Amino acid sequence: MSEFMLLDAKAPATMEAVVEAVMRLSALSEAQILELVSAGKLSEVFPFRPKSGQEIPPDFVSEDDLVEASALPLNREQRSALVQSSMPSHTKSGQRRGLLGAARTFTRKKIKRSSED
Amino acid sequence: MASNPPRNFVRFAPSKADKSRLVDIRITLMTGGDALWWDARLGPWHARIASRADRLWSWSVLLPMCHLVQLAKRRFCRPLVIWARADNGQFVRAGMSILIEQYPYLDVSAPNESHFVWFISAADSGVLGSRYGVSDPPALGRVLLDNAIVLSQNAGLSGRMGLHAAAAGGAGLLTVYVKCGLLQLPATAPLPTSIRRKNDGRFFYADQPVAEALAALLDPAR
Repeated sequence: MSEFMLLDAKAPATMEAVVEAVMRLSALSEAQILELVSAGKLSEVFPFRPKSGQEIPPDFVSEDDLVEASALPLNREQRSALVQSSMPSHTKSGQRRGLLGAARTFTRKKIKRSSED
Repeated sequence: MASNPPRNFVRFAPSKADKSRLVDIRITLMTGGDALWWDARLGPWHARIASRADRLWSWSVLLPMCHLVQLAKRRFCRPLVIWARADNGQFVRAGMSILIEQYPYLDVSAPNESHFVWFISAADSGVLGSRYGVSDPPALGRVLLDNAIVLSQNAGLSGRMGLHAAAAGGAGLLTVYVKCGLLQLPATAPLPTSIRRKNDGRFFYADQPVAEALAALLDPAR
């Protein structure tokens, strides 16, 4: 299972289903994805939502508690932490790694196939 | 070459009511919690504003989806939140963006890499004022673009950036980007081959001189 829920079935989406959807989307341009999202049609190609149950953060944060972003390039570890913080919660880290790893493996295979063609 | 010394993100933005006055803002990396907050607290209000290109966006779906799609393309997203100071002295989320690093530069006559502004939203100033006590909301259009320019400069990409204006934003959104000082890619111009899309005349970009000029305008606010 992945960390996403199916929109309709209210059941966890399989990792394979999420990876397939990501691969379908990655065949589109960013402008095409923007238009799909703006037309409210993203669910036609990515029919998932994060698992519910995460607490909504407070409306206000004091200046002392804000961690301002650096405008410098991020290193590999910082990038990895940022991606992890963006994934739905209530997921074991192994599952998150599994989804990201599956996407990377799929891409590597795709690249290998196209280089062999 | 990276800008030397590196530029920081801005910490002030012009007041929406009086552009000659600067108001406090701060910029943080976006997490899943930020996206959830935006969808729950501002999403229902924005959905009622028919003219907003982002009225149907769900950031809590967009954020992980964008990361995964770009990882599959061997690129990386830099999602940011802009916070505005409320009358109670604390900060509240006022802007959201997802940028893509090392994206093909839109001007094919000078093949290179740039940063790409994929999704940007600014909170409705009326909602910020009435529900969150931000009586002097910031104008965020230039700030949202400046973030991409500064990241591009600091990454050694000379400030080059691009974006596509969502069709849902109509002619009004094109006017916004023209007024912000961006260059509009002619509808007849070819796009980089890796962008599998027909040019619909809604692509904008900044080359090195334009990026430097736009960034310099906001230097007093950093």
